[in-house]
Amino acid sequence: MLLSIAVLLPWVAGVLLVGLDGRRRVVGALAVAAVGATVAVLGLLLAKVLADGTQTVVTGNWPAGVGIVLRADPLAVTFGLLSVVVVLAATVHELIIGISERTFPGLVVLLAGALTGLFLTGDVFNFYVFFELAMTASYALTTYGGQRRQLQAALLFTAVNLLGSFIFLISVAGVYRVTGSLAMDAVRTHMAGVDPNAAILIATGFFVAFSVKLGLFPFHFWLPTAYAAILSGAVANIGTYGLLRFGAGIFPDQLRLAAVALIVLGAVSVIYGGVLAVARGDTAEMLAYSAIGQAGYVLVAIGVGGPVGLTAAVLYSIVNALNKALLFLGGALRGTFVAGAFAIGAFSVAGVPPMAGFVGKLEMFRASIVAGSVALVVLLIVGSALSLIYMFQVYQHQFWRGDQLATWASPLPLRLLVGILGLLVLAAGLWPEPLLAISSRAADALLLGRIG
Amino acid sequence: MILALALTAAFLFGSGAYLLLKRDLIRVVAGVMLISQSALVTIIGSSLSRGDAPIAVQPGQTVSDPLPQALALTALVIGLATVALLLALVHRVIVVLHTAERDELAAGEAAHEAALEEQRQADLDEAR
Repeated sequence: MLLSIAVLLPWVAGVLLVGLDGRRRVVGALAVAAVGATVAVLGLLLAKVLADGTQTVVTGNWPAGVGIVLRADPLAVTFGLLSVVVVLAATVHELIIGISERTFPGLVVLLAGALTGLFLTGDVFNFYVFFELAMTASYALTTYGGQRRQLQAALLFTAVNLLGSFIFLISVAGVYRVTGSLAMDAVRTHMAGVDPNAAILIATGFFVAFSVKLGLFPFHFWLPTAYAAILSGAVANIGTYGLLRFGAGIFPDQLRLAAVALIVLGAVSVIYGGVLAVARGDTAEMLAYSAIGQAGYVLVAIGVGGPVGLTAAVLYSIVNALNKALLFLGGALRGTFVAGAFAIGAFSVAGVPPMAGFVGKLEMFRASIVAGSVALVVLLIVGSALSLIYMFQVYQHQFWRGDQLATWASPLPLRLLVGILGLLVLAAGLWPEPLLAISSRAADALLLGRIG
Repeated sequence: MILALALTAAFLFGSGAYLLLKRDLIRVVAGVMLISQSALVTIIGSSLSRGDAPIAVQPGQTVSDPLPQALALTALVIGLATVALLLALVHRVIVVLHTAERDELAAGEAAHEAALEEQRQADLDEAR
């Protein structure tokens, strides 16, 4: 019941809101209310899933095997909740500074609905449908702001991601061909008996599709021009979730086979993202290149695999999404506490205790030690040092430079919003047990075969 | 999958990829369209069984798998919507920037790079 509401509520609200003029404050407030309600439902769902185990609903009361399965396991609900929280923060931010385009509230709510559906589905093709819905909303959202560069960025973003989506679709066709099924559970069971050549080809197709979303090293070129809070904090989660769900959940053998390649690609992403982030002066672009590096860590963790590696991957994605939301929203503000909140985010990206990023980095170190690789530990240290450098370059640029020190302060609600995000990152670092527990439950859900 | 369908899908994908690399934005859109068609052909081909009727089956005959046809229809609609959105974006770019050539768009990017360089210099001066 809760599961169906979580998918339907933002979807219906979004369809209604798209028809209204979003520049009116009341419509924006309605959008915030709809996304907020989705967060609440997902929160309840997470509590229920953690208490009672995986929830399943077959849509339309069809017999199992015919109807599309919706399923909430710890991994799915965690990612859903995380992404919708980031969407909520970004929507509140826009509402406070004033929404300038009429479609924005509706699109944001639809994006929240699509993300929820995407994480909660147990069907490969249904995943594609929600995936396209989420991407279509984000294509339109990339143009938000209406400046020339945003328009070009949106064009590049759309073209590249459409290509990624169609590669995904071709891989879905391949899955149907070799397994004769689209339900994730059945696909996983049948995948073991499939010709290894076909399986590795299909797995590579999925890997390319999700790497494009995530902006991993060889697929990253669209990313720096198009990044903003919603994209990096919420939409990029699709890539991580897809790699976890499809890689560790459906193609575990192929993942093991390609582990070294994944770790190498992840390592290159970490170094490349870090070095370019140091070299850029622009806050948004620095954060975008930083996102490439952070995605690299997640890939390394997935490559290491096993309970420790997957826990690290989930935990790192959660922390990274919160960091990015905080930094993107906080970077442009001025006034009391804002610099402090930004510094919390910066320290968190670099992995300095007691911020949440420290817990993420700690799990990463644990994963590299389990993998028994000195090179990985060195990589982590170098990556962290690079992130410390680029974060404080931006800090200097934003908060210390003379001509940037405006006398005006940003509106109090905005500063409060960033303050709350900052406190969240700090609290997650000071009291990491719940986060760790959820991450390890999510990793277990993948490993035990209760996928979907 | 039948060889003819596989070849068609490969040809569509190849032509699409070639067009994607063109400078003209309209051709890029055409490239994306061709690749979406390639995905559709792959879906249809993934389950095609020779000799089975898709609709109006005679009693006693086997029916062709209906699922991929449903998938292809769904994917067709999604593809139409996304390509329409992409075309709208290209139209907006042409209206705002008066060009459909990627080179000229890249010139705007270069100007942005130069502005960034000035920013970095300012940061350095401040640090000294």
